[in-house]
Amino acid sequence: MRIELDRPRCEGHGLCEEAAPKLMHLDDDGELVIDTPEVDGADLDTAKAAVRVCPVAALRLAGQ
Amino acid sequence: MTAPTESAIDIWDDGVLVDPYPTYAALREQAGVVYLPKNDLYVLTRYDIIRDALGDPATFSSTALGFNPMVNEALQGTSLASDPPLHTQLRATLSENLTPRALRGLKVTIDEKADKLVAELAASGSFEAVDSLARAFPLEIVADLIGFSGHVKDNMLRWGQAAMQVIGPMNQRTQESFPIAGELYGWCSTVTADDLAPGSIGRGIFDAETRGDIPEGTAGHIIHQYLGAGVDTTIASIGNIVALFGRHPEQLELVRENPDLVPAAFAEVLRYWAPIHIWGRTATRDVEIDGVTVPAGAQLGILFGAGNRDPRHYENPDVFDVTRNPVDHLSFGYGPHGCAGQGLAKLEAHAIIDALARRVRSMAIADEVREPSNITRSHEQLQVVKVVAA
Ligand code: HEM
Ligand code: SF4
Repeated sequence: MRIELDRPRCEGHGLCEEAAPKLMHLDDDGELVIDTPEVDGADLDTAKAAVRVCPVAALRLAGQ
Repeated sequence: MTAPTESAIDIWDDGVLVDPYPTYAALREQAGVVYLPKNDLYVLTRYDIIRDALGDPATFSSTALGFNPMVNEALQGTSLASDPPLHTQLRATLSENLTPRALRGLKVTIDEKADKLVAELAASGSFEAVDSLARAFPLEIVADLIGFSGHVKDNMLRWGQAAMQVIGPMNQRTQESFPIAGELYGWCSTVTADDLAPGSIGRGIFDAETRGDIPEGTAGHIIHQYLGAGVDTTIASIGNIVALFGRHPEQLELVRENPDLVPAAFAEVLRYWAPIHIWGRTATRDVEIDGVTVPAGAQLGILFGAGNRDPRHYENPDVFDVTRNPVDHLSFGYGPHGCAGQGLAKLEAHAIIDALARRVRSMAIADEVREPSNITRSHEQLQVVKVVAA
Protein backbone atom coordinates (compact mmCIF):
# COMPACT_ATOMS: atom_id res chain seq x y z
CA MET A 1 0.00 0.00 0.00
CA ARG A 2 1.06 3.58 -0.56
CA ILE A 3 0.95 6.38 2.04
CA GLU A 4 -0.57 9.47 0.45
CA LEU A 5 -0.55 12.96 1.91
CA ASP A 6 -3.12 15.63 1.14
CA ARG A 7 -0.43 18.32 1.36
CA PRO A 8 -2.63 21.46 1.57
CA ARG A 9 -4.52 19.87 4.44
CA CYS A 10 -1.42 18.91 6.45
CA GLU A 11 -0.74 21.49 9.17
CA GLY A 12 2.36 19.90 10.60
CA HIS A 13 0.84 18.63 13.85
CA GLY A 14 3.42 15.85 13.76
CA LEU A 15 1.35 13.17 15.47
CA CYS A 16 1.94 10.91 12.48
CA GLU A 17 5.68 11.17 12.98
CA GLU A 18 5.30 10.16 16.62
CA ALA A 19 3.34 7.10 15.53
CA ALA A 20 5.64 6.16 12.64
CA PRO A 21 9.05 7.83 13.01
CA LYS A 22 10.64 5.35 10.61
CA LEU A 23 8.21 6.15 7.82
CA MET A 24 7.86 9.94 7.97
CA HIS A 25 9.26 13.06 9.61
CA LEU A 26 8.73 16.81 9.79
CA ASP A 27 11.63 18.65 8.19
CA ASP A 28 13.23 21.81 9.55
CA ASP A 29 10.50 23.94 8.00
CA GLY A 30 7.82 21.83 9.65
CA GLU A 31 6.84 20.23 6.33
CA LEU A 32 6.01 16.56 6.41
CA VAL A 33 8.31 14.28 4.43
CA ILE A 34 7.21 10.71 3.78
CA ASP A 35 10.41 8.71 3.82
CA THR A 36 8.88 5.34 3.05
CA PRO A 37 5.75 5.78 0.93
CA GLU A 38 5.40 2.11 -0.08
CA VAL A 39 4.60 -0.05 2.94
CA ASP A 40 3.79 -3.69 3.69
CA GLY A 41 4.11 -6.16 6.55
CA ALA A 42 4.84 -4.59 9.93
CA ASP A 43 5.32 -1.17 8.32
CA LEU A 44 1.76 -1.32 7.07
CA ASP A 45 0.45 -1.53 10.64
CA THR A 46 2.61 1.40 11.69
CA ALA A 47 1.42 3.36 8.64
CA LYS A 48 -2.19 2.62 9.56
CA ALA A 49 -1.53 3.97 13.06
CA ALA A 50 -0.07 7.17 11.58
CA VAL A 51 -3.07 7.62 9.28
CA ARG A 52 -5.37 7.14 12.25
CA VAL A 53 -3.82 9.74 14.52
CA CYS A 54 -3.65 12.59 12.02
CA PRO A 55 -6.12 15.03 13.61
CA VAL A 56 -7.12 16.61 10.31
CA ALA A 57 -7.31 13.41 8.22
CA ALA A 58 -4.55 14.49 5.85
CA LEU A 59 -3.05 11.02 5.39
CA ARG A 60 -4.48 7.96 3.68
CA LEU A 61 -3.41 4.56 2.46
CA ALA A 62 -4.11 3.83 -1.18
CA GLY A 63 -4.19 0.90 -3.58
CA GLN A 64 -1.84 -2.01 -4.07
CA MET B 1 -36.22 2.07 8.01
CA THR B 2 -35.90 1.74 11.78
CA ALA B 3 -36.15 4.96 13.75
CA PRO B 4 -33.62 5.66 16.51
CA THR B 5 -34.57 5.04 20.13
CA GLU B 6 -35.60 8.03 22.20
CA SER B 7 -34.69 9.44 25.58
CA ALA B 8 -36.52 12.03 27.69
CA ILE B 9 -33.23 13.68 28.67
CA ASP B 10 -32.80 17.42 28.10
CA ILE B 11 -29.14 17.68 27.15
CA TRP B 12 -29.07 21.38 28.21
CA ASP B 13 -30.59 20.75 31.64
CA ASP B 14 -28.57 22.62 34.31
CA GLY B 15 -27.72 19.42 36.17
CA VAL B 16 -26.59 17.63 33.00
CA LEU B 17 -24.39 20.55 31.96
CA VAL B 18 -22.58 20.66 35.28
CA ASP B 19 -22.11 16.88 35.56
CA PRO B 20 -22.81 15.28 32.16
CA TYR B 21 -20.93 11.99 32.53
CA PRO B 22 -23.69 9.85 34.09
CA THR B 23 -26.02 11.05 31.33
CA TYR B 24 -23.41 10.35 28.66
CA ALA B 25 -23.00 6.81 30.01
CA ALA B 26 -26.75 6.15 29.98
CA LEU B 27 -27.20 7.50 26.43
CA ARG B 28 -24.15 5.61 25.16
CA GLU B 29 -25.40 2.33 26.59
CA GLN B 30 -28.82 2.95 25.07
CA ALA B 31 -27.48 3.33 21.50
CA GLY B 32 -24.87 4.96 19.28
CA VAL B 33 -27.47 7.53 18.21
CA VAL B 34 -30.39 8.57 20.43
CA TYR B 35 -33.23 10.95 19.59
CA LEU B 36 -34.02 13.56 22.24
CA PRO B 37 -37.58 14.89 21.61
CA LYS B 38 -37.11 17.66 24.22
CA ASN B 39 -34.27 19.12 22.12
CA ASP B 40 -35.42 17.81 18.71
CA LEU B 41 -31.92 16.46 18.38
CA TYR B 42 -30.15 13.22 17.48
CA VAL B 43 -27.15 12.81 19.75
CA LEU B 44 -24.12 10.73 18.78
CA THR B 45 -22.72 8.91 21.78
CA ARG B 46 -20.08 6.33 20.80
CA TYR B 47 -16.46 6.83 19.79
CA ASP B 48 -16.45 5.22 16.33
CA ILE B 49 -19.75 6.77 15.31
CA ILE B 50 -18.61 10.25 16.30
CA ARG B 51 -15.27 9.91 14.56
CA ASP B 52 -16.85 8.58 11.37
CA ALA B 53 -19.37 11.45 11.33
CA LEU B 54 -16.64 14.07 11.82
CA GLY B 55 -14.68 12.53 8.95
CA ASP B 56 -17.63 12.64 6.55
CA PRO B 57 -18.59 16.28 5.88
CA ALA B 58 -20.56 15.33 2.74
CA THR B 59 -23.11 13.50 4.91
CA PHE B 60 -22.75 15.59 8.07
CA SER B 61 -22.80 19.24 7.11
CA SER B 62 -21.47 22.08 9.26
CA THR B 63 -23.61 24.80 7.66
CA ALA B 64 -26.05 24.79 10.59
CA LEU B 65 -23.74 23.73 13.39
CA GLY B 66 -25.28 26.00 16.02
CA PHE B 67 -28.45 25.03 17.86
CA ASN B 68 -30.50 28.14 17.03
CA PRO B 69 -31.18 29.88 13.70
CA MET B 70 -29.81 33.25 14.79
CA VAL B 71 -26.33 31.95 15.50
CA ASN B 72 -26.26 29.96 12.27
CA GLU B 73 -27.07 33.15 10.43
CA ALA B 74 -24.28 34.98 12.25
CA LEU B 75 -21.71 32.27 11.51
CA GLN B 76 -22.31 32.23 7.75
CA GLY B 77 -19.07 32.71 5.88
CA THR B 78 -16.85 31.32 8.65
CA SER B 79 -14.72 28.24 8.22
CA LEU B 80 -16.50 26.67 11.17
CA ALA B 81 -19.88 26.83 9.44
CA SER B 82 -18.88 25.88 5.92
CA ASP B 83 -18.42 22.58 4.08
CA PRO B 84 -15.77 21.59 1.54
CA PRO B 85 -14.81 22.88 -1.01
CA LEU B 86 -15.43 26.39 0.41
CA HIS B 87 -14.23 25.23 3.80
CA THR B 88 -10.90 24.04 2.40
CA GLN B 89 -10.14 27.54 1.13
CA LEU B 90 -11.25 29.37 4.29
CA ARG B 91 -9.42 26.93 6.51
CA ALA B 92 -6.14 27.49 4.69
CA THR B 93 -6.08 31.21 5.58
CA LEU B 94 -7.42 30.58 9.05
CA SER B 95 -4.90 27.95 10.00
CA GLU B 96 -1.87 29.43 8.31
CA ASN B 97 -0.93 31.41 11.41
CA LEU B 98 -1.85 28.66 13.83
CA THR B 99 0.09 25.68 12.51
CA PRO B 100 2.82 24.32 14.75
CA ARG B 101 5.40 25.66 12.28
CA ALA B 102 3.92 29.17 12.44
CA LEU B 103 3.84 29.04 16.23
CA ARG B 104 7.33 27.71 16.76
CA GLY B 105 8.69 31.16 17.53
CA LEU B 106 6.22 31.60 20.39
CA LYS B 107 7.20 28.57 22.42
CA VAL B 108 9.99 30.21 24.39
CA THR B 109 7.84 33.19 25.44
CA ILE B 110 4.89 30.98 26.36
CA ASP B 111 7.09 28.65 28.43
CA GLU B 112 8.68 31.60 30.25
CA LYS B 113 5.34 33.21 31.03
CA ALA B 114 3.88 29.95 32.32
CA ASP B 115 6.90 29.30 34.47
CA LYS B 116 6.85 32.76 36.01
CA LEU B 117 3.13 32.67 36.74
CA VAL B 118 3.16 29.16 38.19
CA ALA B 119 6.27 29.88 40.29
CA GLU B 120 4.52 32.90 41.85
CA LEU B 121 1.36 30.93 42.55
CA ALA B 122 3.30 27.98 43.97
CA ALA B 123 5.14 30.31 46.35
CA SER B 124 1.91 31.99 47.48
CA GLY B 125 0.67 29.08 49.61
CA SER B 126 -2.89 29.17 48.26
CA PHE B 127 -4.69 30.71 45.30
CA GLU B 128 -7.93 30.79 43.31
CA ALA B 129 -6.99 28.96 40.11
CA VAL B 130 -9.67 30.16 37.69
CA ASP B 131 -8.99 33.89 37.70
CA SER B 132 -5.31 33.76 38.50
CA LEU B 133 -4.30 30.95 36.14
CA ALA B 134 -6.94 29.32 33.92
CA ARG B 135 -8.21 32.70 32.68
CA ALA B 136 -5.18 34.93 33.17
CA PHE B 137 -2.79 32.82 31.15
CA PRO B 138 -4.66 32.18 27.85
CA LEU B 139 -6.08 35.71 27.87
CA GLU B 140 -2.59 37.14 27.98
CA ILE B 141 -1.23 34.75 25.35
CA VAL B 142 -4.11 35.29 22.91
CA ALA B 143 -4.07 39.06 23.45
CA ASP B 144 -0.34 39.13 22.61
CA LEU B 145 -0.84 36.83 19.66
CA ILE B 146 -3.57 38.88 18.05
CA GLY B 147 -2.05 42.13 19.22
CA PHE B 148 -4.86 43.50 21.40
CA SER B 149 -4.59 45.92 24.19
CA GLY B 150 -6.83 48.24 26.18
CA HIS B 151 -10.60 47.76 26.28
CA VAL B 152 -10.50 44.84 23.87
CA LYS B 153 -8.30 42.87 26.20
CA ASP B 154 -10.66 43.61 29.07
CA ASN B 155 -13.59 42.31 27.03
CA MET B 156 -11.99 39.13 25.74
CA LEU B 157 -13.25 36.90 28.52
CA ARG B 158 -16.87 38.11 28.27
CA TRP B 159 -16.80 38.00 24.48
CA GLY B 160 -15.20 34.56 24.33
CA GLN B 161 -17.71 33.10 26.78
CA ALA B 162 -20.68 34.67 25.01
CA ALA B 163 -19.51 33.51 21.57
CA MET B 164 -19.69 29.91 22.80
CA GLN B 165 -22.88 30.32 24.84
CA VAL B 166 -24.92 31.59 21.85
CA ILE B 167 -24.22 28.38 19.91
CA GLY B 168 -26.69 26.68 22.29
CA PRO B 169 -30.46 26.46 21.89
CA MET B 170 -32.51 29.65 22.34
CA ASN B 171 -32.64 29.38 26.15
CA GLN B 172 -32.14 32.14 28.68
CA ARG B 173 -28.35 31.76 28.66
CA THR B 174 -28.27 32.21 24.88
CA GLN B 175 -30.63 35.20 24.96
CA GLU B 176 -28.56 36.96 27.59
CA SER B 177 -25.34 36.29 25.70
CA PHE B 178 -26.40 37.51 22.25
CA PRO B 179 -25.88 41.21 23.00
CA ILE B 180 -22.39 40.45 24.33
CA ALA B 181 -21.50 38.24 21.36
CA GLY B 182 -22.83 41.11 19.25
CA GLU B 183 -20.17 43.40 20.71
CA LEU B 184 -17.55 40.92 19.48
CA TYR B 185 -19.08 40.66 15.99
CA GLY B 186 -19.29 44.46 15.92
CA TRP B 187 -15.71 44.99 16.98
CA CYS B 188 -14.39 42.39 14.53
CA SER B 189 -16.18 44.01 11.62
CA THR B 190 -14.64 47.42 12.34
CA VAL B 191 -11.18 46.51 13.59
CA THR B 192 -8.29 47.74 11.44
CA ALA B 193 -4.58 46.95 11.29
CA ASP B 194 -3.81 50.07 13.35
CA ASP B 195 -5.76 48.66 16.29
CA LEU B 196 -3.34 45.74 16.55
CA ALA B 197 0.23 45.77 17.81
CA PRO B 198 2.93 45.86 15.12
CA GLY B 199 4.58 42.47 14.68
CA SER B 200 1.59 40.54 16.09
CA ILE B 201 -0.05 37.70 14.20
CA GLY B 202 -3.30 39.69 14.11
CA ARG B 203 -1.51 42.55 12.38
CA GLY B 204 0.00 40.03 9.94
CA ILE B 205 -3.46 38.81 8.97
CA PHE B 206 -4.52 42.36 8.11
CA ASP B 207 -1.34 42.93 6.16
CA ALA B 208 -2.15 39.78 4.18
CA GLU B 209 -5.57 41.26 3.39
CA THR B 210 -4.02 44.56 2.28
CA ARG B 211 -1.60 42.68 0.02
CA GLY B 212 -4.56 40.80 -1.48
CA ASP B 213 -3.32 37.39 -0.28
CA ILE B 214 -6.68 36.77 1.37
CA PRO B 215 -10.06 38.13 0.19
CA GLU B 216 -11.21 41.51 1.44
CA GLY B 217 -13.10 41.36 4.71
CA THR B 218 -11.70 37.99 5.83
CA ALA B 219 -9.24 39.35 8.38
CA GLY B 220 -12.00 40.40 10.79
CA HIS B 221 -13.65 36.97 10.41
CA ILE B 222 -10.41 35.22 11.24
CA ILE B 223 -9.79 37.29 14.37
CA HIS B 224 -13.39 36.61 15.37
CA GLN B 225 -12.88 32.87 15.11
CA TYR B 226 -9.62 32.94 17.05
CA LEU B 227 -11.40 34.73 19.87
CA GLY B 228 -14.64 32.77 19.65
CA ALA B 229 -13.07 29.33 19.40
CA GLY B 230 -9.79 29.79 21.23
CA VAL B 231 -10.46 31.54 24.53
CA ASP B 232 -13.21 29.79 26.48
CA THR B 233 -12.02 26.30 25.47
CA THR B 234 -8.42 26.82 26.54
CA ILE B 235 -9.55 28.38 29.82
CA ALA B 236 -11.68 25.30 30.48
CA SER B 237 -8.80 22.94 29.79
CA ILE B 238 -6.38 24.75 32.10
CA GLY B 239 -8.92 24.76 34.92
CA ASN B 240 -9.36 21.04 34.32
CA ILE B 241 -5.59 20.48 34.55
CA VAL B 242 -5.46 22.06 38.01
CA ALA B 243 -8.59 20.29 39.23
CA LEU B 244 -7.52 16.86 37.99
CA PHE B 245 -4.00 17.10 39.41
CA GLY B 246 -5.52 18.38 42.66
CA ARG B 247 -7.85 15.39 42.78
CA HIS B 248 -5.18 12.90 41.71
CA PRO B 249 -1.87 13.82 43.42
CA GLU B 250 -0.33 10.50 42.36
CA GLN B 251 -0.82 11.51 38.71
CA LEU B 252 1.02 14.80 39.27
CA GLU B 253 3.76 12.76 40.94
CA LEU B 254 4.07 10.61 37.79
CA VAL B 255 4.60 13.69 35.62
CA ARG B 256 7.05 15.12 38.18
CA GLU B 257 9.08 11.92 37.93
CA ASN B 258 8.89 11.83 34.15
CA PRO B 259 8.39 15.20 32.41
CA ASP B 260 8.17 13.36 29.05
CA LEU B 261 4.62 12.60 30.12
CA VAL B 262 3.52 16.24 29.73
CA PRO B 263 1.89 15.83 26.27
CA ALA B 264 0.27 12.54 27.29
CA ALA B 265 -1.04 14.17 30.46
CA PHE B 266 -2.72 16.95 28.48
CA ALA B 267 -4.26 14.48 26.03
CA GLU B 268 -5.66 12.60 29.03
CA VAL B 269 -7.04 15.79 30.64
CA LEU B 270 -8.80 16.57 27.35
CA ARG B 271 -10.13 13.03 27.02
CA TYR B 272 -11.27 12.81 30.62
CA TRP B 273 -13.13 16.16 30.67
CA ALA B 274 -13.99 17.48 27.22
CA PRO B 275 -14.03 21.31 27.20
CA ILE B 276 -16.80 21.30 24.58
CA HIS B 277 -19.98 19.57 25.71
CA ILE B 278 -21.88 19.37 22.43
CA TRP B 279 -21.36 20.44 18.83
CA GLY B 280 -23.68 20.39 15.84
CA ARG B 281 -23.98 18.93 12.35
CA THR B 282 -26.95 18.37 10.02
CA ALA B 283 -27.66 15.23 8.02
CA THR B 284 -27.62 16.01 4.29
CA ARG B 285 -29.50 12.78 3.43
CA ASP B 286 -31.26 9.89 5.14
CA VAL B 287 -28.34 8.18 6.81
CA GLU B 288 -28.01 4.87 8.57
CA ILE B 289 -26.13 5.10 11.87
CA ASP B 290 -25.71 2.08 14.14
CA GLY B 291 -28.52 0.22 12.32
CA VAL B 292 -31.14 2.97 12.49
CA THR B 293 -32.08 5.76 10.09
CA VAL B 294 -31.58 9.44 10.83
CA PRO B 295 -33.67 11.50 8.39
CA ALA B 296 -32.29 14.08 5.96
CA GLY B 297 -32.25 17.53 7.52
CA ALA B 298 -32.01 16.20 11.09
CA GLN B 299 -29.98 18.21 13.60
CA LEU B 300 -27.25 16.14 15.23
CA GLY B 301 -25.51 16.79 18.54
CA ILE B 302 -22.02 15.38 18.86
CA LEU B 303 -21.17 14.46 22.44
CA PHE B 304 -17.36 14.50 22.41
CA GLY B 305 -17.23 13.66 26.11
CA ALA B 306 -19.44 10.58 25.67
CA GLY B 307 -17.19 9.26 22.90
CA ASN B 308 -14.08 9.93 24.99
CA ARG B 309 -15.39 7.61 27.72
CA ASP B 310 -16.58 4.85 25.40
CA PRO B 311 -15.38 1.51 26.83
CA ARG B 312 -15.56 0.11 23.28
CA HIS B 313 -12.55 2.28 22.53
CA TYR B 314 -10.69 3.03 25.78
CA GLU B 315 -9.94 0.55 28.54
CA ASN B 316 -11.17 1.68 31.99
CA PRO B 317 -12.39 4.93 30.43
CA ASP B 318 -13.52 6.45 33.72
CA VAL B 319 -10.01 6.30 35.18
CA PHE B 320 -7.78 9.38 34.85
CA ASP B 321 -4.38 8.02 33.84
CA VAL B 322 -1.58 10.28 32.55
CA THR B 323 0.30 7.32 31.13
CA ARG B 324 -2.54 6.39 28.75
CA ASN B 325 -1.58 8.89 26.00
CA PRO B 326 -4.94 8.93 24.17
CA VAL B 327 -3.71 10.90 21.14
CA ASP B 328 -6.91 10.04 19.26
CA HIS B 329 -9.30 11.64 21.81
CA LEU B 330 -12.23 13.54 20.35
CA SER B 331 -12.03 16.82 22.28
CA PHE B 332 -10.43 18.69 19.36
CA GLY B 333 -12.90 17.15 16.92
CA TYR B 334 -11.45 15.26 13.97
CA GLY B 335 -11.03 15.59 10.22
CA PRO B 336 -11.49 18.66 8.01
CA HIS B 337 -12.79 20.83 10.90
CA GLY B 338 -10.46 19.31 13.51
CA CYS B 339 -9.37 22.14 15.81
CA ALA B 340 -7.23 24.60 13.88
CA GLY B 341 -5.87 25.99 17.14
CA GLN B 342 -4.75 22.74 18.73
CA GLY B 343 -1.09 23.63 18.23
CA LEU B 344 -1.59 26.79 20.29
CA ALA B 345 -3.77 25.08 22.89
CA LYS B 346 -1.08 22.45 23.35
CA LEU B 347 1.73 25.01 23.60
CA GLU B 348 -0.18 26.78 26.37
CA ALA B 349 -1.30 23.69 28.26
CA HIS B 350 2.01 21.86 27.97
CA ALA B 351 3.76 24.95 29.34
CA ILE B 352 1.39 25.01 32.33
CA ILE B 353 1.67 21.28 33.05
CA ASP B 354 5.43 21.39 32.71
CA ALA B 355 5.64 24.36 35.09
CA LEU B 356 3.30 22.70 37.60
CA ALA B 357 5.37 19.53 37.50
CA ARG B 358 8.58 21.43 38.20
CA ARG B 359 7.26 24.04 40.63
CA VAL B 360 4.63 22.22 42.66
CA ARG B 361 5.22 19.32 44.99
CA SER B 362 1.56 18.90 45.89
CA MET B 363 -1.67 20.87 45.94
CA ALA B 364 -5.03 20.42 47.63
CA ILE B 365 -8.17 21.80 46.04
CA ALA B 366 -11.63 22.75 47.33
CA ASP B 367 -14.73 24.62 46.18
CA GLU B 368 -14.82 23.30 42.63
CA VAL B 369 -17.65 25.39 41.24
CA ARG B 370 -19.08 24.91 37.76
CA GLU B 371 -21.91 27.02 36.33
CA PRO B 372 -24.19 25.48 33.71
CA SER B 373 -23.16 26.64 30.27
CA ASN B 374 -24.55 25.62 26.86
CA ILE B 375 -21.37 24.60 25.05
CA THR B 376 -18.20 24.98 27.14
CA ARG B 377 -17.83 23.06 30.37
CA SER B 378 -15.50 24.99 32.63
CA HIS B 379 -14.93 26.01 36.24
CA GLU B 380 -16.30 29.24 37.62
CA GLN B 381 -14.19 28.86 40.73
CA LEU B 382 -11.47 26.51 41.92
CA GLN B 383 -9.64 27.11 45.16
CA VAL B 384 -6.17 25.69 45.64
CA VAL B 385 -6.29 25.72 49.44
CA LYS B 386 -2.75 24.55 49.99
CA VAL B 387 0.10 24.38 47.54
CA VAL B 388 3.56 23.14 48.48
CA ALA B 389 6.28 24.50 46.23
CA ALA B 390 8.89 22.09 44.92
C1 HEM C 1 -8.29 23.12 24.65
C2 HEM C 1 -8.65 24.03 23.82
C3 HEM C 1 -9.49 23.82 22.61
C4 HEM C 1 -10.48 22.88 22.36
C5 HEM C 1 -10.97 21.79 23.28
C6 HEM C 1 -10.97 23.13 21.01
C7 HEM C 1 -11.95 22.37 20.39
C8 HEM C 1 -12.31 22.49 19.06
C9 HEM C 1 -13.21 21.60 18.36
C10 HEM C 1 -13.94 20.43 18.98
C11 HEM C 1 -13.30 22.03 17.08
C12 HEM C 1 -14.05 21.33 15.94
C13 HEM C 1 -15.27 22.02 15.50
C14 HEM C 1 -16.00 21.24 14.43
O1 HEM C 1 -15.76 20.05 14.22
O2 HEM C 1 -16.88 21.84 13.80
C15 HEM C 1 -12.47 23.20 16.97
C16 HEM C 1 -12.32 23.96 15.82
C17 HEM C 1 -11.63 25.15 15.77
N1 HEM C 1 -10.81 25.67 16.76
FE1 HEM C 1 -10.44 24.86 18.58
N2 HEM C 1 -10.31 24.19 20.49
C18 HEM C 1 -9.39 24.65 21.41
C19 HEM C 1 -8.50 25.71 21.28
C20 HEM C 1 -8.45 26.54 20.17
C21 HEM C 1 -7.57 27.69 20.04
C22 HEM C 1 -6.54 28.13 21.06
C23 HEM C 1 -7.87 28.27 18.83
C24 HEM C 1 -7.31 29.49 18.14
C25 HEM C 1 -6.67 30.45 18.58
C26 HEM C 1 -8.91 27.46 18.21
C27 HEM C 1 -9.44 27.71 16.97
C28 HEM C 1 -10.31 26.87 16.30
C29 HEM C 1 -10.83 27.15 14.99
C30 HEM C 1 -10.53 28.37 14.17
C31 HEM C 1 -11.66 26.06 14.64
C32 HEM C 1 -12.47 25.91 13.36
C33 HEM C 1 -11.74 25.04 12.38
C34 HEM C 1 -12.54 24.74 11.13
O3 HEM C 1 -13.74 24.98 11.06
O4 HEM C 1 -11.92 24.26 10.18
N3 HEM C 1 -9.23 26.42 19.04
N4 HEM C 1 -11.86 23.45 18.19
S1 SF4 D 1 -0.39 14.34 11.72
FE1 SF4 D 1 -1.46 15.01 9.88
S2 SF4 D 1 -1.34 17.23 9.92
FE2 SF4 D 1 0.17 16.43 11.33
S3 SF4 D 1 2.07 16.33 10.20
FE3 SF4 D 1 1.10 14.35 10.08
S4 SF4 D 1 -0.13 14.47 8.22
FE4 SF4 D 1 0.41 16.54 8.72
